[in-house]
Amino acid sequence: MFLTRSEYDRGVSTFSPEGRLFQVEYAIEAIKLGSTAIGVATAEGVILGVEKRATSVLLESSSIEKIVEIDRHIGAAMSGLTADARTMIDHARVESQNHRLTFDESMKVESVTQSVCDLALRFGEGADGEESVMSRPFGVALLIAGVDENGPQLYHADPSGTFYRYDAKAIGSGSEGAQAELQNEYHSSLTLAEAEQLVLKTLKQVMEEKLDAKNVQLSSVTPEQGFRIYSDDEMKAVVERLEGSEVPLV
Amino acid sequence: MSDPSSINGGAIVAMVGKDCVAIACDMRLGMQALTVSNDFPKIYQYNNTFIGLAGLATDVLTLSEVFRYKVNMYNLREERDIEPETFANLVSSTLYEKRFGPYFVGPIVAGINSKTGKPYICGFDLIGCINFAKDFVVGGTTSHQLFGMCESLWEPDLEPEDLFETISQALMNAQDRDAMSGAGGLVYIITKDKIVKRLLKTRQD
Amino acid sequence: MYAEHFSEPATSHVASAPIEHQFYPYASNGGTILAIAGADYALLAGDTRHITGYSINTRFRPSIHTLENLGGPERAIVVAANGFSADGDALVRRLAQRAEWYTYNHNKPLSVSACARLVQTMLYGKRTFPYYVHTIVAGLDESGRGEVYSFDPVGSYEREQCRAGGSAASLLMPFLDNQVNKKNQYDAATGLPQVATDLPLEETLKLVKDAFSSVTERHIHVGDYLEIKIVTKEGVKVEYFPLKRD
Repeated sequence: MFLTRSEYDRGVSTFSPEGRLFQVEYAIEAIKLGSTAIGVATAEGVILGVEKRATSVLLESSSIEKIVEIDRHIGAAMSGLTADARTMIDHARVESQNHRLTFDESMKVESVTQSVCDLALRFGEGADGEESVMSRPFGVALLIAGVDENGPQLYHADPSGTFYRYDAKAIGSGSEGAQAELQNEYHSSLTLAEAEQLVLKTLKQVMEEKLDAKNVQLSSVTPEQGFRIYSDDEMKAVVERLEGSEVPLV
Repeated sequence: MSDPSSINGGAIVAMVGKDCVAIACDMRLGMQALTVSNDFPKIYQYNNTFIGLAGLATDVLTLSEVFRYKVNMYNLREERDIEPETFANLVSSTLYEKRFGPYFVGPIVAGINSKTGKPYICGFDLIGCINFAKDFVVGGTTSHQLFGMCESLWEPDLEPEDLFETISQALMNAQDRDAMSGAGGLVYIITKDKIVKRLLKTRQD
Repeated sequence: MYAEHFSEPATSHVASAPIEHQFYPYASNGGTILAIAGADYALLAGDTRHITGYSINTRFRPSIHTLENLGGPERAIVVAANGFSADGDALVRRLAQRAEWYTYNHNKPLSVSACARLVQTMLYGKRTFPYYVHTIVAGLDESGRGEVYSFDPVGSYEREQCRAGGSAASLLMPFLDNQVNKKNQYDAATGLPQVATDLPLEETLKLVKDAFSSVTERHIHVGDYLEIKIVTKEGVKVEYFPLKRD
């Protein structure tokens, strides 16, 4: 990628002669530096899991917030320049509440994802008369999980503004290994509890630190309970279950 | 709402049946939005003729006494009961006397002519213009609702019991859609040789 | 130019009394609408007379609008906005546009409940310069049941079994209470209040035609023709019924 560097990667919204937007591609690269985030969708609901990489032993790990609520029925996990996610999450929250206000119904997961992606390309110089909002692309990718009338769903949105729906998806530094693992382990009849374990197991494999109840965070979205971040006690329980299940295997 | 004819509220209606007539009213007395009484009948009987008086309550009471006086004088002078047609003209001329300072009422009259046996109903405006109706007449703050009810429920030649049901349903459902009237109902079913008075228990809101 | 030929009253050009002009942005165009929801249908009816003051502008101006929807003809929504017809037309056209955008953005049919909330948003959006209309929206829910929503001019709304709006609403409404919701009716055997049950479509149609024929007798704003739109799982059917023209 860096071999093709030229003057075309200076203007943020300038195409290269090969038809590429380098700044967007670099933004996508930036995500690969972020901590790993994994989402798994089942018929019962969706599980999101993130690695909370503590850069110092003095860091309070509970202050790392990489899974957030968008609405009662939608949550998102992030990887990359997480500060950029604030803009996107705020936008998603406003859109979702506006939809409730205007239509007396919850917004579809796909529509929320679309509205977030609508933001993604509003960088650069802006068209004539129209003000551009941002100087550069977002440096963050989101896994958007939610439940609506079409059941539990998982979407991946990246800085180019494209989004796809996945059964299971990993983003961030460990995404390559994690995605391969998900590919092997995923099947359509997973239960929510099995998905919990799959996410933890996959995170464990790709994390540099040893996984414990403090350096990962899980959340779920189900038709019954909506979006929910796991409490410290619940995290302890699921991590213990993961270790317990490994004893006979070793 | 400072319109004198809609301060106290009220609903009145009369209907013709087969050899019978019915007249009904609500029981509310209000002062604008405030309900003062749920025992304020608006129908008065003079001999075998009935008048329903809806409008400004003070004028209702005053007129009821004026008509009592005048019918008594008629009875003494003529030595006979007053007929509905005669009474209607008495009402009309009494109201027109106050052409430029009227009573704020909209009366209706109902009865059966003792000679011919023919049912008679009519309505008036506040200065005495008579509305000779063959089917039904309505009055009071609930007149729109009563028109809608009567026009769709009423049919010719109803027997007394059916006429009672019809006028009661017309009154109750109409007054339920008018905040200024309600709090009970009063119905008279008049046939040549019998007068039946019935109180309707209705919602009080 | 010819002013000198006419002698004017001495008071007509006194400087101290300025001539005032005022633009009143509203008018009333009469007519009445009526909606009833049933177990497997929703019906919205209105007369086609269009008036200003005592003049009849036209005897046939249909006022019940159909919003086509995703999900087949049974998901169509019927809507009428009675009162000042220019405002009513503007509201309905804007609503149709918003409904279309909704289907593009979310790729699913606009439900009647969502449409109702959208109407509230639009009406309340003009809180300080309202659309001078009484609005009724009707259609079928996901399970095929009839739904009716009615609105005041600034968006206060409610789901109901039936509702009349417009000039003769006060005449129609107590009749509907009585005949559709069985108000003030008691069971002869038990003495208990009768409970409202869903009326079959044939009975409702008879009721609606009777109601409008009666109201036509007593209200000069109502007459000419009755337009009835019925939403069933087969789609929207339209029926016309002659009313008195006097």
